[in-house]
Amino acid sequence: MKGTSLELDGVSVQYGNTTALEAVSLSISAGERVGLVGPSGSGKTTLLRLLNGSVLPDQGDVHVSGSPLYTLSRTDLRRVRASIGFVYQDHRLVPNLQVSQNVIAGQLGRVSLLKSLRMMLFPSRVMVEKAHEILCRVGIGEKLFERTDHLSGGQQQRVAIARALFQEPQVLLADEPVSSVDPARAKDAVELLTRISREENLTLVMSLHNLDLAREYCERLIGLRRGRIVFDEPTSSIQESHFSELYRIGEGEMLADGA
Amino acid sequence: MILCLMIAFVWAYSHLGLRGEDLHPSSGGLKVLGEFAARALTPALTSEADFVPEGTRPLLYIALSSARTTLFFAAAGMSLGLFLGIVLGFFSSTSWWAGDFGGVRRSSPSRILGRVLFPVLYGGSRVIINLMRSTHEVLWAVLFLTAFGLSNTAAVLAIAIPYGGTLAKIFSEMVDETTREPAHALRGAGASGLQTYSFALVPQALPDMIGYSFYRFECALRSSAILGFFGFPTLGLFIRQSFSSLNYGEVWTFLYVLLGMVLIFDWWSGAVRRRLAP
Repeated sequence: MKGTSLELDGVSVQYGNTTALEAVSLSISAGERVGLVGPSGSGKTTLLRLLNGSVLPDQGDVHVSGSPLYTLSRTDLRRVRASIGFVYQDHRLVPNLQVSQNVIAGQLGRVSLLKSLRMMLFPSRVMVEKAHEILCRVGIGEKLFERTDHLSGGQQQRVAIARALFQEPQVLLADEPVSSVDPARAKDAVELLTRISREENLTLVMSLHNLDLAREYCERLIGLRRGRIVFDEPTSSIQESHFSELYRIGEGEMLADGA
Repeated sequence: MILCLMIAFVWAYSHLGLRGEDLHPSSGGLKVLGEFAARALTPALTSEADFVPEGTRPLLYIALSSARTTLFFAAAGMSLGLFLGIVLGFFSSTSWWAGDFGGVRRSSPSRILGRVLFPVLYGGSRVIINLMRSTHEVLWAVLFLTAFGLSNTAAVLAIAIPYGGTLAKIFSEMVDETTREPAHALRGAGASGLQTYSFALVPQALPDMIGYSFYRFECALRSSAILGFFGFPTLGLFIRQSFSSLNYGEVWTFLYVLLGMVLIFDWWSGAVRRRLAP
């Protein structure tokens, strides 16, 4: 079965003295497409990073497909992580490798060190063809053998999406897929992620600054403000007032800066 | 920091009693220097010795074949040094085991590895590379000559050991200082520490590692030449012989050959670096 459920149970995360998330509970079922909205510093990125186990909660538990993420053995954690594709805001590709190598690196979580050496240095024809197929799907098939840092920001984002897809994931997480590309391309990226998640029945969670895009492409929106959930509702029942609540500047409150 | 350096400088300066008038040499010394410098533009093309025994190879042949020996010693020393540098550099870097983010909360065998075994390996390898590095290749040569006599292996080891230590130190630092974000991304997708080390960190450090290796090869050429002073048939042997026979033209010939080799390597390393640049 494709798609995986995600669950946060009373999760709090602290960075030093700053509280990034406070007592957040939510549950996302398999195949759902969820948008995280809220001002910068509201905890969207932290929430996403909890879901693939790259941030450890100070309190509470995270469950992926029913299994508690932080008590898994190292091997099991690798297996779960391999099934979760993450598209980072800053792409996080290896700049001086070929596009094909960056895409193929998506499968490192599933193979041994020896096999990964072969795969990265002398990939089989099947592997390269598969990488090419995925690159075509994201619209940059012709860039297969180019050096990654020779590509534009928007193209690199597509490589990052292709790498996540090469994992054959159950879940796609995307952190601000619009912020690092020009506005014209922003919609393309969100549309691409939504289309793929629908075709493959993947669970999709993305954080979005742009409220219009969030409303257009997500079936459920979760509003975060200062580490707490303000609303969590189907997009159809979201009102303008929900958003104004999210961006309201409280009394004596400074503008939150990105944490 | 800067203040410490200044204090160290003033202290050393006054301790050594450095004064400009110390540099006033004897008139004989100046004369030798003048004669030597005068030959810079007219290096010898044939032997300058008063008596050349029958069967002696021509000067240019000696210059080129000793250059070849110099190159061989440098290449052998450097390749062994590179091997040591890569292996010890791996153990001297922390990025493949330390700083793993998130993950297992309960105690497990892999945690013991991370807390005890890897730090011990790291510390041990740091001590070893510092021992290798802190002794100059000339001192290693003296040591090995005493132990093994004038064998080629002794010369190669004398280069390989300090160079291996230096390469290990620089390699490990280059890898540990690369951007970690791509490594974190792969880690988040389930890759192991060794995989992220091999495919996210090393590739980013590789152009610098290659550039630095070329530079060390240049240094190895000079070290190899200097080993000739101990009797190995590299350029240094013939430089010393010609200098003590006052055949300064020959000295310049050998020096130009050495310079030529270094320049060729410099050009080659530049070409490679340009290819690897973004």
